[in-house]
Amino acid sequence: MDKLFLRPKPTRREFLQIATASLALLGLSQALTPKVVKALEASSGKPSVIWLHGSECTGCSESLINSLEPTAVSLLLDTISLRYHETLMAASGHKAEEALEKAIAEGGYLLVIEGAIPLAEDGLYCTIGGKTFKDIVRGCAKNAAAIIPVGSCATYGGFPAAGPTDSVGYLYRNTKKHHEFDDVTGDKPVINLPCCPMHPERLVAVIVHYLTFGTIPPLDNFERPISMYGELLHDNCERRGQFEAGRFVTDWGDPSQNGYCLYLKGCKGPWSRHDCWKRLWNGRTNYCIAANVPCIGCSEPEFYERFSPLYDRQFDITLPGIGKVDIDKVMATVAAIAAAGIGIDTIITKLKGEES
Amino acid sequence: MGQRIIVDPITRLEGHLKVEVEVENGVVTNAWSTGTMARGVEVLLQDKDPRDAPYITSRICGVCEGVHAIASAYCLDHAFDVEVPEAGRIMRNLYMSAQFMSDHYIHFYVLSALDYLDIMAVADYAGNDAGLLAIRDKIRYLASKNDLSPFTPRYDPDEYCVNDPEIVTTLVSHYIKAVEMKAKSSKMRSIITGVQPHPNSVMVGGCTATPTVDQLRQFKDLWLEQIDFVNNIYIKDVEYVGTGPLLELATMGLGGGTQNYLCYPMFPQDDPASSADRPFGGRNHIYKGGAVIGGASNAVEKVDYSKITESVEYSWCDYPDGVDSLHPSEGITELNARKENAYSFCKAPRYKGQPMEVGPLARGVVNKYPGLMTLMEAGVKPGAVARHYCRAVESKTVGEAGLPWIDRLTELALAGTVVGMKDKAVPKSAEGFGVWDAPRGALGHWIKIKDQRTKNYQFIVPTTWNASPRDEKGVMGPYESSLIGCPVPDANNPINIVRIIRSFDPCLACAVHVIDPESNNIKVHKVV
Repeated sequence: MDKLFLRPKPTRREFLQIATASLALLGLSQALTPKVVKALEASSGKPSVIWLHGSECTGCSESLINSLEPTAVSLLLDTISLRYHETLMAASGHKAEEALEKAIAEGGYLLVIEGAIPLAEDGLYCTIGGKTFKDIVRGCAKNAAAIIPVGSCATYGGFPAAGPTDSVGYLYRNTKKHHEFDDVTGDKPVINLPCCPMHPERLVAVIVHYLTFGTIPPLDNFERPISMYGELLHDNCERRGQFEAGRFVTDWGDPSQNGYCLYLKGCKGPWSRHDCWKRLWNGRTNYCIAANVPCIGCSEPEFYERFSPLYDRQFDITLPGIGKVDIDKVMATVAAIAAAGIGIDTIITKLKGEES
Repeated sequence: MGQRIIVDPITRLEGHLKVEVEVENGVVTNAWSTGTMARGVEVLLQDKDPRDAPYITSRICGVCEGVHAIASAYCLDHAFDVEVPEAGRIMRNLYMSAQFMSDHYIHFYVLSALDYLDIMAVADYAGNDAGLLAIRDKIRYLASKNDLSPFTPRYDPDEYCVNDPEIVTTLVSHYIKAVEMKAKSSKMRSIITGVQPHPNSVMVGGCTATPTVDQLRQFKDLWLEQIDFVNNIYIKDVEYVGTGPLLELATMGLGGGTQNYLCYPMFPQDDPASSADRPFGGRNHIYKGGAVIGGASNAVEKVDYSKITESVEYSWCDYPDGVDSLHPSEGITELNARKENAYSFCKAPRYKGQPMEVGPLARGVVNKYPGLMTLMEAGVKPGAVARHYCRAVESKTVGEAGLPWIDRLTELALAGTVVGMKDKAVPKSAEGFGVWDAPRGALGHWIKIKDQRTKNYQFIVPTTWNASPRDEKGVMGPYESSLIGCPVPDANNPINIVRIIRSFDPCLACAVHVIDPESNNIKVHKVV
């Protein structure tokens, strides 16, 4: 039984737990906790949320209901008022359409978008209730208070962007802005929460921030919260030491390579900004690198097409203090020097010499 | 002509589905099923590195997530002819059996139950159970704030809706528990897959994860909790609801459909003996594949994979002139969103020329689930309620099957690093296929590799079988035929239609290849 169901309304203590966790996720001072709790308590007029599904797989919604702290049920019934969500709502058909129209008319909601928006053939590759998804997004964006595209598809186009339907994110076609919805966006805040799927804690943190301050957290050039997408995986990876030492997984079937750097298996860690490495997934249980599989860069606007092949080395890499290096040269150097029993400083010195 | 009713969107399913029916004298006489979204996944895989396929195809669907990664990995294992280590087979099996359990109970509670419950009866709960009283107070509080989304609005409850406050409140408490159990199942699965939903560790050659003994201990604890929920709550609720309040719907065979059933083998208990076993991930499967044509009690035949075809007569897809149907190994996906007379992005898959129902009922008929046979002898006909029942039965079986696999993996972990992968270079040119029976039914992937790139990639997924439009002979797909005869006493409240469709657990993101029929020249009456 969900603990929040033991009382009609969540207690101050429970708000405190949510608030403390959210502030930590946002990298904000815990001194703000009282303010956050106050905002949460005052929001039994909870923020309305319209959640749209476009060219998507429902994986981001799945991820939302995988939330353990706070639980999905407390999130859905105590934190937000979910007015339209095709996977969860009771209504179908015209009843569902009416719920959406009513919420739009009332305005002031958070608009969460899951899935890419196909623009080819004037939007015919995704229609709901006889309307194209493109037009539905347009209609919902107009009265929104803020727009939160979640997951790789809704933010930058994701893998559907590589297909024949000209699928785009809300603001971006991969790395470029497309301006399709500029007129309805106006100066409304847009917060991109990429990754495949979206991480539920990141969405909760943004909603709590919004409830508390009435603003959105600071964003980077691709409209991602800096507190969540500010650092490179490569700079924080637990296998970074293996990279420095030149120990790379070349054969997953060789147990002696377990724990080595996954760069030669296609890891996009050197180009990917996110906090998966410290936030982890599914109640802080695991993430890609810890499951011995490379980061495929789903936090980035370039994903998927630019990052294919996913499981093969793709780009040249930059080593600290050296600049761009051909990895084959690194490997040869590492092998030669390792054979001679010399450490990492020497490797870098030697490579520097070769570069100049 | 009768009255036309369109239900669009049908919610509480994966993806975008529209159903259009014709009703005469309160009964459905004609039906059209339309998938309304297409991403062209088969198209975008062309000319990519073949090893990307399990990752990308997994993203076809985030609900029945993982099943595509498995079918795709089997398909590539076959094309690469790679020997997956025992630990790789076991981790894939464990991942899938965990996914089976949670997928089934989430379908029952979260996606289906609201069609069978008058949820507002909770407000009248008058018992003494502290937990149930808390739920009542919560619902009363939300109602007082006029904030019952997402439980309202809804179709009005009919005479088959359970409205006893005690039962409804208990089922709502199980709904809440199911959501929590699902999050825990995902936590458990992420130990093997890295992140959930969507497995990142499952690929050609096996599974990259190297779970440690302590991780496996955590995994087993979480597993036992899943089994406990399935065996002691989920199955009992399905049995209670199916044989009690819904017995009449069960015996009338609401949503019967084609009477043709197809399933593929799943959960291999032994490693492949030769390349010929690779499309199936191994040998000695817990569930056997098979086909039954023309009635649930007819003989079970072995599946002949060369007899699977797809046609596109009514799909927004084009084939070359003079081609009616194609085997998936030669399949073509050419989207044409403005094709005249077409009404769905789904193609029309056929086996020996017949539409086939796939999914839990098909598995139950082919594998002769003892409970299903008993129910059928007692007068329950294959249909919506029987589908729910088969799901519950198989959740128990796969849950219990997992325990020896966890123990075996723990043995391997005690002996050293668990190795579930075998690396092999991309072949210059090759062909392969892989099949798995997903929670929603028969799933097949086919690949052709040329110059180490994906030359062609095709899949036929469960919901394409079930949501199939008419074929070139005008024969309806399973959803369509299952709606014929469906009682719709009130055109403004077509609750039986969504009951039938949801009993198949549709997953349209998988199915489509589909769009809105502007070219449909029949005048329609839309329910407003």
